[in-house]
Amino acid sequence: MTATLLDGIVQGLQFSLLAVGITLIYGLGGVLNLAHGQFAVFSGVAAKLLLGWGAQSVLAGIGGIIAAGLLGLLMDRSLLVPAYRYRGEERLLLGLILTLGLSFVIDGYLNYAFSEFSLTLSLPIASMQIAGIAMRTAGLVTSLIAVVVFLALFAFLRWTLLGKTIRSIIENEIGAELCGINPASTRTIIVVLATMMAGLAGIAQGLFSSLGTEMGPEFTILGLLVAVVGGVRSINGTLVAGIFLGIINAFASRYVGAYVAFIILLSVAMATILLRPNGLLARFT
Amino acid sequence: MSVRSIFFRYADLVLLAVLLALVPVIAADSPYYLRIATLAVVYMALTVAFNLIFGHTKQLFLCLGALAGVAAYVAAVLTQELQLSPWITVPIGVFAATGLGALFSYVSVLRGLGVIFLGIVTLAFSLIFQNLVLGLRQFTNGETGLVTRGLGFGLLDHSVSAYYLFVAVLMLALLVYCVVMGSRMGFAFRALSDDELTAELSGIDVTGRKVNAAVLGSAIIGLTGTLYGFYNGIISPSLFSFVNVDIPVLISLLLGGVRTRLGPIVGAAAFAVIEEFVRPFGQLNVLVDGVLLIVLFVAFREGLVVMFRKALGIAIP
Repeated sequence: MTATLLDGIVQGLQFSLLAVGITLIYGLGGVLNLAHGQFAVFSGVAAKLLLGWGAQSVLAGIGGIIAAGLLGLLMDRSLLVPAYRYRGEERLLLGLILTLGLSFVIDGYLNYAFSEFSLTLSLPIASMQIAGIAMRTAGLVTSLIAVVVFLALFAFLRWTLLGKTIRSIIENEIGAELCGINPASTRTIIVVLATMMAGLAGIAQGLFSSLGTEMGPEFTILGLLVAVVGGVRSINGTLVAGIFLGIINAFASRYVGAYVAFIILLSVAMATILLRPNGLLARFT
Repeated sequence: MSVRSIFFRYADLVLLAVLLALVPVIAADSPYYLRIATLAVVYMALTVAFNLIFGHTKQLFLCLGALAGVAAYVAAVLTQELQLSPWITVPIGVFAATGLGALFSYVSVLRGLGVIFLGIVTLAFSLIFQNLVLGLRQFTNGETGLVTRGLGFGLLDHSVSAYYLFVAVLMLALLVYCVVMGSRMGFAFRALSDDELTAELSGIDVTGRKVNAAVLGSAIIGLTGTLYGFYNGIISPSLFSFVNVDIPVLISLLLGGVRTRLGPIVGAAAFAVIEEFVRPFGQLNVLVDGVLLIVLFVAFREGLVVMFRKALGIAIP
């Protein structure tokens, strides 16, 4: 029981890590990034290449995350420029199509060039006992990283000037612009940050079990689901939604078969969206 | 209105019917091209339905494949298990898809879901459908698929007659589209796609009209889906997957031109041609698809029909 709950929280933190990037890019840029999961896979491939060139696993992981961030920078500065020219629904629709196209490009290339690829990172100690419960070290490490990343993100948004700028743009882009904020440069920072977090989620998947090139669409869909259950504009909501769905998934997988577990997860997500259309924590930021 | 003016108003549809009817004459000796043409017509019908749902009433249904699949599986399983005639099971399948479409639309309007939220709810439904089909192995035969050859109408077993049947379905869908858009409902659609609040304030029943659009669209999708299931000879989850149905339809609609009568036709035809063009790239075809998608949308953002209108200076509906 407790072990399943902990498993759920560990998994849920990964869900949140994947989804928070979607939330950030949507909140700030007004673009729903349909290539988000592909960034996770891209970072894994980059890490694997670095490992192949003799880098240490920690360095390779960091390198992979940076590679995802660089790809995000490229996307923001080239692909999304036409979308940023519009506002509101027009931008959303164009952004949707452009990132869908990008996801095809990344998927198509990676499946073609690295068809045998699988990333598995292993830690020196496989599992340890905490309060009488055997936990996998991989789960602990990735959860710790996720918690640190989230705390840093919250601190950044709450206490730095740039963070406040970002929150003001999420609140109202035109209003922020009238106050002398340049949304374009802030957007670039956020897109890079968000894609790096997707990259981290990809590396974490490699630590858990293994990461394959075909997992991009799955990651994107999971991330979208979590982001939308959380309210798609709220970062706290995304964190809560990720942990909530992670726990549901862990219990469902433990007590019923895999197909039914996924159906339960999806139904819960659907029900949550219908019951709380503005997200789990609709009243908070 | 005289017969003459009606003819001129719908001359494009007559022209389209004639053009589509001539395809088997040209491609008669190549079963391969005839099959491609049949698939293109199937996608045209789906895109016409999606234009009603998404284009005119802004409801982003990302479960077109699942709706078509529900209809196809219901019809095929009932035909096989209970030995019913397709004349009974096809309407049941269409009814199932229509009911689901109406339900999604009604619930989403009731709960005030935005475009993205409805998109995600329906996407979740698509995935639930996929997993249900995989899980209910005893009825659906899981991933391997259910053989439907010979279960459906006799017409569907011959490629040329099946082609004409799908053209008939497409023309029916377009007829429904024209009748709806020419009626009071069409005016309501135009009003609410501009601004829902203003439409509501002018006395338009926005909820009702949105549900109407979803019902009509889902019925077209269901009918196309069941017939396509029987025509294909085997139905499997991948045939109705998000990637194989929803994405091509979305691309076709945006490529052809949202809220235009001929947009879905032009878009689906262009998409079929593009697919044929990228086929030789083998494994890299997904990449080429992605590049084309990006380039086409940056270049012709309003769709091909609007572009032709501007370039040729003629009124294309």
